[in-house]
Amino acid sequence: MQTAAKSVEIAESSWEESVSAWMDGEDSDDIFPSLLSKEGRQTWDTYHLIGDSLRNADLALTPSAAFQARLARALDAELPIVAAPRRRSPLRMGLSGLAVAAAVATVAWVAQPYVTGTPATEVRVLADASLSASASASDDSGLRDYLEAHRQMAGPSAVRQVSFEVGAGR
Amino acid sequence: MALVLPSRWPVLGRAASWQAHRAGWFAATLLTAFLAAHGPASAADAPAAGQAEDIVQLLTRIQQAARKQDYAGVFMYQQGDMIQSSRLVHVVDGTGERERLEILDGQPREYLRHNEDVQCLIPERKTVLLERRRGDRFPGLLLGDPAHLSEHYKIRAESALHRVAGRECRLITIEPLDKLRYGYRLCADVETNLLLKAQTLNAARGVVEQVSFSSLRLGSDVDPQALSSHWNTRDWKVLEAAMKNVDLAAQGWRIPAPKGFKPIMQVSRAMKRGSPVSQMVLSDGLAAISVFIEPYDSQRDHQPPHGAAQRGAINVYGTRIADFWLTAVGEVPAATLEQLAQATEYVPPAPAAAAPAEGGAK
Repeated sequence: MQTAAKSVEIAESSWEESVSAWMDGEDSDDIFPSLLSKEGRQTWDTYHLIGDSLRNADLALTPSAAFQARLARALDAELPIVAAPRRRSPLRMGLSGLAVAAAVATVAWVAQPYVTGTPATEVRVLADASLSASASASDDSGLRDYLEAHRQMAGPSAVRQVSFEVGAGR
Repeated sequence: MALVLPSRWPVLGRAASWQAHRAGWFAATLLTAFLAAHGPASAADAPAAGQAEDIVQLLTRIQQAARKQDYAGVFMYQQGDMIQSSRLVHVVDGTGERERLEILDGQPREYLRHNEDVQCLIPERKTVLLERRRGDRFPGLLLGDPAHLSEHYKIRAESALHRVAGRECRLITIEPLDKLRYGYRLCADVETNLLLKAQTLNAARGVVEQVSFSSLRLGSDVDPQALSSHWNTRDWKVLEAAMKNVDLAAQGWRIPAPKGFKPIMQVSRAMKRGSPVSQMVLSDGLAAISVFIEPYDSQRDHQPPHGAAQRGAINVYGTRIADFWLTAVGEVPAATLEQLAQATEYVPPAPAAAAPAEGGAK
């Protein structure tokens, strides 16, 4: 029973675990070829992001109560995994916890914090919709298609506007 | 008299007292008729609930009037210091609804609608863009189910009558019960229930935007000939706006609708720059929010703005979630969009989550 559980864990941990271990200064060769793939780079970035967040609470977001409840439920429902004792750094402990969460509930991504000089709540007023052809053509805010797509479905004030651009493929 | 009160609805100056007198009489008659018609039904409910139901019925009748009557006229849309006029012809014949909307200011545009098929004429590109979707717009009113409107808005009809585009109309005030949405002030034709004027109001009761008929013909005065366009589109290019229904929840998106809002549409559509964009439309019956989701592309030169932005009466909030870009757009207060964007979660579905592991095993 124990050996079966252990083999399952090893099969699941493989490459991501090696990246994590390498970041902790442990020996893990043969992670480099896989780093060249798109998924590999993504994993690399993700694990660095996780590491940074664990070292600095300011970088981490507090998950919503709904997410925590879902995670707790999923963890409760998960079969206990009996792991062989291993030497672990505190960072690795944290990562393993996250890895379990990822295997169980998968990761919930939320909006990334908006880091800027101005507070995020401040509303920047972009150029108002203008009737002149040149103004609408030079609208570089990239919003025009979104506004038009929204106006196709909007309520009492849904008035067709001149600033319409051919949004469908050309 | 009317000139010194520019923020008021236009009132007949000379005949003000006559108007007021007649308005009172008219309202009393209407109220009596209303009570007579709905007396047995509302007697069973609490009086307040019965009244709210009547108001919801009134809004439904406004919506039906926009769909089922013949009308033609010019309406003006004003927002900030921008004004735009459009000429509208709407005729119901044996095949259903036919509508021609011509934008009179700026670049020429025309929208020819037959039931749910819309042709957008873009003369400077000699292009006809086909849309197959009904989108109720002025003088249409309701987006979703009006049954729950009274849970989020306080709706009341004013007894005094107003005058818009030469016709008497009944003023309906729609006040939001929370700060998640805007309020509205509508004026509906007394005789036909057609919406003549609509204003969107912010929390300070300032007008965010307004749309109003400036001239209007009804019923048999409408000439069906006016439905045909002056443009000869025979050699024009025809494009179809490709849209297909999607299920964002199944793709791992948890988009918490603000209180009272419900998803009414989820589609994937082609946007100008390459990859398809998913759009979810949420509505509380009156107001609408669009949530756009697309793959995040750091190379893109025209990224929608991050954080809050305002474009006319429409607020926008953009943020990155995982490898996606979310843009929330709507005629609702900026804080509503920010809350929605910040509370949205992306949980990659199982097959996608397994993909990196496979890549690593290679």
